[in-house]
Amino acid sequence: MATSPAPPRPKPSLLTTLFSRPLPLYLSAFLLRLVLLLYGLWQDANSPLKYTDIDYLVFTDAARFVSRGESPYARETYRYTPILAWLLLPTTWTAGAQWGPLAAKVINTAWFSFGKVLFAAADLVAGWLIERVLVMGTDFPSVSQPQEKEKQNEKERAGGSGNGTTTGTRMDPSRARAFAAIWLLNPMVATISTRGSSEGLLGVLVMALLWAVLSRRITLAGLLLGFSVHFKIYPFIYAPAIVWWMDQERLSGVRGGGGQKKTFFQKITSFLTLPRLNLAITSLTTFLFLNLLMYALYGHTFLQETYLHHVTRIDHRHNFSPYNTQLYLSSASASVPSSSSGLKIESLAFLPQLLLSTILIPLCLAKKDLPTSLLAQTFAFVTFNKVCTSQYFLWYMVFLPLYLPRSSFLRGKRMGVAALGLWVLGQGLWLQQAFELEFLGRSTFLPGLWMASLGFFVMNCWILGVIVGDGGR
Amino acid sequence: MRERITFIQKQGDSIEPTTLKIKGGDAEKDGAEEGSDVENDMDVDEADLNGPEIQAAREDRLTIAIDELPTDLQALLGTAHELHIRYVSSQPYEAITPLLARLPPGFHLFYTPAREADATSPALCLALNKVFGNVQCENPQESFATLPRDRFSHSAAYQYYQQSVDFSPFIEYAKERLCSSSKDQSCASRADRLAEASTLDISYDAISHAVKLTATWPYQKQEVHATSRPQTRTEVGVLNSDRPGHVEPHELAISGLLTVLGQDKKPSATMFAFASRHRDAESSFSAEFLEPTGLHPTLKLNLKSSKPPTEDAHCSPHAYFTLPKTIFADRHQLSDDLFLASKNLTGLRYISQPVDLEAPEYVEKRWGSSLLLELSPPEHEKSESWTAQVPLHLRYLSPAEGGYTDIEVPYPAVFWACTAEEGTKFPNNPFEKVNLGYDGLFGPRTVFWHFEPRPATDNSLINTIKVPVLDTNKAEWVSGGTGLAVLLGFAWIVWKLFGVLSKSGYQNQPAQAAEAAKIKKKQ
Repeated sequence: MATSPAPPRPKPSLLTTLFSRPLPLYLSAFLLRLVLLLYGLWQDANSPLKYTDIDYLVFTDAARFVSRGESPYARETYRYTPILAWLLLPTTWTAGAQWGPLAAKVINTAWFSFGKVLFAAADLVAGWLIERVLVMGTDFPSVSQPQEKEKQNEKERAGGSGNGTTTGTRMDPSRARAFAAIWLLNPMVATISTRGSSEGLLGVLVMALLWAVLSRRITLAGLLLGFSVHFKIYPFIYAPAIVWWMDQERLSGVRGGGGQKKTFFQKITSFLTLPRLNLAITSLTTFLFLNLLMYALYGHTFLQETYLHHVTRIDHRHNFSPYNTQLYLSSASASVPSSSSGLKIESLAFLPQLLLSTILIPLCLAKKDLPTSLLAQTFAFVTFNKVCTSQYFLWYMVFLPLYLPRSSFLRGKRMGVAALGLWVLGQGLWLQQAFELEFLGRSTFLPGLWMASLGFFVMNCWILGVIVGDGGR
Repeated sequence: MRERITFIQKQGDSIEPTTLKIKGGDAEKDGAEEGSDVENDMDVDEADLNGPEIQAAREDRLTIAIDELPTDLQALLGTAHELHIRYVSSQPYEAITPLLARLPPGFHLFYTPAREADATSPALCLALNKVFGNVQCENPQESFATLPRDRFSHSAAYQYYQQSVDFSPFIEYAKERLCSSSKDQSCASRADRLAEASTLDISYDAISHAVKLTATWPYQKQEVHATSRPQTRTEVGVLNSDRPGHVEPHELAISGLLTVLGQDKKPSATMFAFASRHRDAESSFSAEFLEPTGLHPTLKLNLKSSKPPTEDAHCSPHAYFTLPKTIFADRHQLSDDLFLASKNLTGLRYISQPVDLEAPEYVEKRWGSSLLLELSPPEHEKSESWTAQVPLHLRYLSPAEGGYTDIEVPYPAVFWACTAEEGTKFPNNPFEKVNLGYDGLFGPRTVFWHFEPRPATDNSLINTIKVPVLDTNKAEWVSGGTGLAVLLGFAWIVWKLFGVLSKSGYQNQPAQAAEAAKIKKKQ
């Protein structure tokens, strides 16, 4: 930062008017999705190459089974909670007989698109929650207020746009909206949800969870946590971070017994605060209740498809994960009973992944900077996962607007551009190899795809290291 | 035991009855042994028929009552309500009326167990492996595909298909167990000739209590020759298709000469007409994969004619595939009308269930899948050549040296399916063939007009795809390299986390600052 010149005072431009009031930003985010949605409908109706994601057809087929009173798991490859199929029941509705053929077609298409509208709306709500969280600040709203004021004044003196001076604290709404736009106006996010991928729902759930935690709505946070884990498993990694963050001081503003040495037992009892117990009980109850309900309704298939499938799946098909080539190799030799091998690294793959995302990162970062901790945990979870596709990137992307304002990537512009460039390049190299394999039929598994996935992995580790460093400041 | 040997010529190619020389038979019993090279002179029933060299197809059909079979085969057939094994050569052959029923090349098996428990028993698979050598099956339930029985009652319960089956074990088995003695040279040489057959059917059903073994050889130059075997009624026909005026348009007419060896002194002329389920569309097709094949190859069917074979009935063209487990069709992809239309397809009419859309080939237990596609021909008055494209997907195959593995994909059977008139009776056809896999998917009054498969490149009805796989020659470093990369990445992040801890602990900075301030105040 010291090397780069002081940023000039911005003139009122199109960008500042976009963020100065809520309407222009949310309207343009809405219009972006509307245009993509309508374009998608046009492409689906006129081209054999479909805009709509295959997964959306899986969801809507499952919803159709549900509407006929059957199990959503009657649709092969439906590996989600039945709630998703229930939510999409309107996609199975059709126009009544009173409508003409043209009107009926329009109505049917509109109902069929209901899920995409729902996912896109979830995007917008997630964006709004990002803005709320940024404005709310992440720490001690009561305690640090004077300090905050001072900082704001300082910032205004510096020219109003000085990035990096606010550390984990409140942000003025227009600046918050500018960062929320990273999510709201992100073409990748808008495309994924209008193509009918359900990741947008996860975005809103996770952001609502963070918002509830930061605004001390613990019961709501427990409900959301239990629900999200039921919905997509991976949000369980947020539980340790939230619990660790929720210390006595933070929740009541009271400093408990500072300075005094505590016995081990006292430490345990003072750790088990009422809010922590509340969170644990509400989230576990929600999770168990939903699973028992689904088990009662759909039996073992529910468990098999939603959860156990992830334990038994082979993940042999090419994807971004560094383990992919190894998994292909070992799954094929495992099907030959005679071959024996020693220690399989893939059977230990969960160790670095879970150590980082559920223990080490939350332990070091959660109390300092909860949103950055959640980002780093998600990033570690996705990077070290045994399977990794570009939809998973959305899981951490939702936290970026909360982290970037204080990041090295924005402070050092060159570093930021380098990181973004490497992230895109890493994927590009991999995609090029994958294209040669998938469409040209060249055997690029080795060394091409393997090296590309390892390169992408190493690059992601570097980014994660920087995020961790930022979170600890 | 009964045997029927038929030589079939094309329309207009008939032979003179006097050119057929018949030895043996009641009238000439005494002279039958003369000049015969048969060593077993106890066989007084020996008789033979010799004729000129003609251009013809040949069909041999042996009907064996179940109690005439070796005991192990009897036991095996006891587990079946019906069992049909159909082998079709991958060599292209010209089929002539009335031997027109076509199937994709390979080894097809249709099976209905006698009892529920037979479906899970390995007995059938063990027997198949004994007779045919390398059939990849464990038990019907696991290895076979289930056929839709609710649709039309006449289809079998299970289907199995394998593209390449070596027939030499079967020929050896037949010589050893079905020929009456090791010295029976004519029986042995006939068994050897099975290796050149274009089709071979072994059919059994519990109702007729008999096994029918039918082999056909392609239309080619061959000598008319037949020998009867002891305790076997042998009937020899030299026939040709005919088109006399008084036959209905939906019927086929056959005329020619029939002789029962050892009974008839001279051939008797015959003529008969019948409705046939399988007809010749008098057109052809070829199949080839679009390059590059990648992991989602498209099979292109080139069809010679777009005009239905008959104007009296509703007809639509279909393609029936038996795909090995290395390659499959995604029924969800084949459900969008716009997509189908862009490939000149009307719709997916049937696909065997289940087809796993994700599993690699090396964990898939089932042999593969069968599917029936309705094709959509161009709607022009004039007949023209046209194409249809079938999108398929490859499974991941086991890693191999060099990074590529060849897989073989058989041609489909392509035909016009037309509805026959009410009251048409097919079973009167002496060359009737049912249980072909696709016939059970249509109504009982459907006529199949077959396109003749013509090879696109080599002289084979099999297409080969080079599938990219992981190259085991380069796999040496994968395990270590992956482990090292993960370890380094993990260590780097742990190092950064350690840096955070050692610099500022895990507590919130402002909190610590406030704490420090408090302590200062106290002092």
